[in-house]
Amino acid sequence: MKWLAQFRKKSPWILHYNAGSCNGCDIEILAALSPRFDLERFGIVNTGNPKQTDIFLVTGPVTFHSRERLVELYSQIPEPKVVVAVGACTSTGGVFRGMYNVEDGIDRYIPVDVYVPGCAASPQLIIDGIVQALSILEKKNKAIEKPFRLFGGIKRIGKKISRLTMAKRIGEEK
Amino acid sequence: MTTWFWIVMAPVLGGLVYGGERVLRARMQRRQGPPLLQPFYDMFKLMDKRTLVIHSAHALLGVVHFLVLWITVGAIFFGWNLLYIVFLHLFALIVLVIAGYSVRSVFSQIGANRELLALVAYEPVLLLVTVGFYLYAGSFYIGDILHHSGYLSQMPLLFLALLVILPIKVKKSPFDVVEGHQEIVGGVEVEYSGFFFEFLYMARFLEYIFIYSFVFLFGGADYWLGALLVIGTFILVNLVDNATARVRAADMVKISYLLALLLAGINIVWMLT
Repeated sequence: MKWLAQFRKKSPWILHYNAGSCNGCDIEILAALSPRFDLERFGIVNTGNPKQTDIFLVTGPVTFHSRERLVELYSQIPEPKVVVAVGACTSTGGVFRGMYNVEDGIDRYIPVDVYVPGCAASPQLIIDGIVQALSILEKKNKAIEKPFRLFGGIKRIGKKISRLTMAKRIGEEK
Repeated sequence: MTTWFWIVMAPVLGGLVYGGERVLRARMQRRQGPPLLQPFYDMFKLMDKRTLVIHSAHALLGVVHFLVLWITVGAIFFGWNLLYIVFLHLFALIVLVIAGYSVRSVFSQIGANRELLALVAYEPVLLLVTVGFYLYAGSFYIGDILHHSGYLSQMPLLFLALLVILPIKVKKSPFDVVEGHQEIVGGVEVEYSGFFFEFLYMARFLEYIFIYSFVFLFGGADYWLGALLVIGTFILVNLVDNATARVRAADMVKISYLLALLLAGINIVWMLT
């Protein structure tokens, strides 16, 4: 419904995932949630639960170990959803770009809506990025969004959609 | 007619209490906090999201949990038997525990375990408080209980026992092990999403009304005293929530039994003699 869409930006719940970050950006995200910067005044709650999440905050350059979980978490978030890449590593790979054990940013795996620069991204920038993400979230429709890699397809059982096979394991890819 | 109106409005009332609590907690930490109507914004947003259902029975049990709680709150507004109300509330929670066990998620199962532990911790105290009301007023009916006054002078230890178990019921900080967002991602509500999560979200509002109505009963015929007690308890619970860390699940049961049950038991024996 069109009328309900206006409430998306009034209560965005975030899920924070660390895809091999150095914890610099994670500390800044927690600082943004803490009383000093107070993200809760926008109605933001840090749920650890992907099934009740609107904004997916990712930090880190996606190490080999974390990419399965990244895609798994992404495919468990119900639409509408937005992804915010926090920090230089998450956006481009940062200082780790080209190394053998990282994947140069999350946009090789999942579609990203907002890139937040900085090493580490400051709380002010993170808040700005989230507010940018809110205006994108309001315009999105509820079509199913797919990860670029490790995508296992969507099964249809009658009228219903099954997401059980949406995220693949690494060995199953080929 | 007005009773029916308040029963229908009970989730809205509870939502306002929950929103007010979030503002109060924010002000205690010297920050602005979310708007007062934030719970309702959350509800409208959840309606707009896609819903993932694990299996239909799991979703249905969440709805049943909410409905039984609503009936419980309705029974309180109608002034029915307090003992029945406590057991009706117990039934609502058992439904939730079954829902938690019915999915294979580890967090959901641990959450259901802890929900049962919390039930074991506070239920005897709640029953003893009910018995205390019966011993003084001579009736289990809320309508009769509200005709007498002077509960605070006769049952001071029972009131203290109720204060100890109140954070368990509203899932506040010393005893929020049931929910444990950082530990077990919300416990039994972990597999609910979108439309069906709303019922669990609303059930939380009704829990507030349920447990604070027990505090209100201590005012007796003096409604102003009851309202004052509710407001004072509300502020105290949030102050304790902001100031304390989480205790372990086993310690929660120990504290509840060693402190609350002992206080309640002493008061009951004192009233009997």
